Amino acid sequence: MKPFTLILLCCFLFACDSYEVKQIKVDVPADVQVPDGMVYIPAGDFIMGHKEEPRTRLGITVFSHAYLIDSYEVSRERYKKFRSEYSFHPKSAAYPVTHVSYSDSLEYCQANGKRLPTEIEWEKAARGLDGRKWPWRVFSAHPNNGFSGFTSEPVDKRKEWISPYGVYGMGHNVWEWIGEEYTYLGQPEGDRDRFKIIRGGLLQTHITIKFSPTYFRNWMAPESKLNFIGFRCAKDVG
Amino acid sequence: MGKPTEAKNKKSAAFQFIRRDFLKLLSFMGLSTLLPGRVFAKDDWRNDKNIPKQYIQNRDLPDFHIRSANPFMGVDMETWGLAVGGMVKNPIGFSYEDLFGMKMILQVSRLKCVECWSAKAEWQGFQFSELVEMVQPDPAAKFVYIQSADSYYESFAIEELLRPRVLFVLRMNGKSLSQDHGYPLRLIAPFKYGYKNIKYITSIKFMDTRKRNYWANSGPYSVDGTIQPGIDHPLDYNKKPLPINGGEVFHFFDH
Repeated sequence: MKPFTLILLCCFLFACDSYEVKQIKVDVPADVQVPDGMVYIPAGDFIMGHKEEPRTRLGITVFSHAYLIDSYEVSRERYKKFRSEYSFHPKSAAYPVTHVSYSDSLEYCQANGKRLPTEIEWEKAARGLDGRKWPWRVFSAHPNNGFSGFTSEPVDKRKEWISPYGVYGMGHNVWEWIGEEYTYLGQPEGDRDRFKIIRGGLLQTHITIKFSPTYFRNWMAPESKLNFIGFRCAKDVG
Repeated sequence: MGKPTEAKNKKSAAFQFIRRDFLKLLSFMGLSTLLPGRVFAKDDWRNDKNIPKQYIQNRDLPDFHIRSANPFMGVDMETWGLAVGGMVKNPIGFSYEDLFGMKMILQVSRLKCVECWSAKAEWQGFQFSELVEMVQPDPAAKFVYIQSADSYYESFAIEELLRPRVLFVLRMNGKSLSQDHGYPLRLIAPFKYGYKNIKYITSIKFMDTRKRNYWANSGPYSVDGTIQPGIDHPLDYNKKPLPINGGEVFHFFDH
């Protein structure tokens, strides 16, 4: 192989292996204590929703206050410290907790001095500031394509699937309870106050698995305990 | 006062069945233990495209598609019974008529196939708690293994079968189940894909470990089978693709 070709090949290989999601530089104020396992997200505008998704904010600019949010979905082993009767196979300790209702999730967060994130907080943490469709910006096919049925993964397995704010698990793994009612313009009266928002899981059609876009909204009855719903917590600053 | 008396009456009825059809039950249960968990139909049409018309088989009927993994001629009611056993205090065999002594629940729900279509029907049946109360499972039993007359099989966590809107169904749309839809007994678990909703049930075995199911062993399908967020193509809406949020399927036109 000619040296020039070899150099080009090496550049190509290194380029593919070294794609990193550019992180937003965040200056944490001196008086803000960021707990272990959380990230600080500063106040400011971001693009929320998408014009092609009628039940979203349609891509308008939205302001968020500063807040803290868990870097990872809550794991089974962490949840068991709160609820000892929660059982799981020891090998799945690092997997996201599932089969928890909205109130189960809220109680866990509150017991840890936290709360569930708002929808604005969740989407900003996932999307960053440039309105991207995927948290990690570049699309890739889900590795489990060709299999029907949800298979979760350890919350810290996919280091490459990171958001611009350094948050993992946005748009894959479990859907996550949000601390707000699911509402939208034109919602029938009978559907109001029935569902909570869930965000950031996978979409399945037979044996095709897709990530959910950063702006994708889903809904669920709060008493539901299902194998594809977990949560993460957020916290006010100060 | 009512419930223990009802349970006692049900139990008496069940034991009457056992006394009356003891030899039939003995042979049925004996066969079930001898075979490795499956009762194969005499003819195996699974890999044959030319299935005789009289066999229950896949059919895309416009109002409700029929799916049959193992085409067969239907249940022989002369020999059919429901055997409930395994890790239980009181294993019981039920005749078809015995099952109508359970408290009947009526509900309308969709069956959503993993292939994407769904169809709605009115189902009438009883809840799993009725059986649990009668057979008294061992506390260590967390799962059940369900077998059917067409060599199909499924497994569930007991907790899943005890959820609201899970029914063991005897009637559909005001009539007895048809052969296509699982006569004499099937499961309706609306938050699970159609392949979990086993038809032609013959036995329910309580266990402390979970067995795999037919489609997890035969294709790229999960044992769990919970309906995931995605897209549905309801037959009663001309298969128009509609978003679903996961779990039991409800559409805006469902009442």
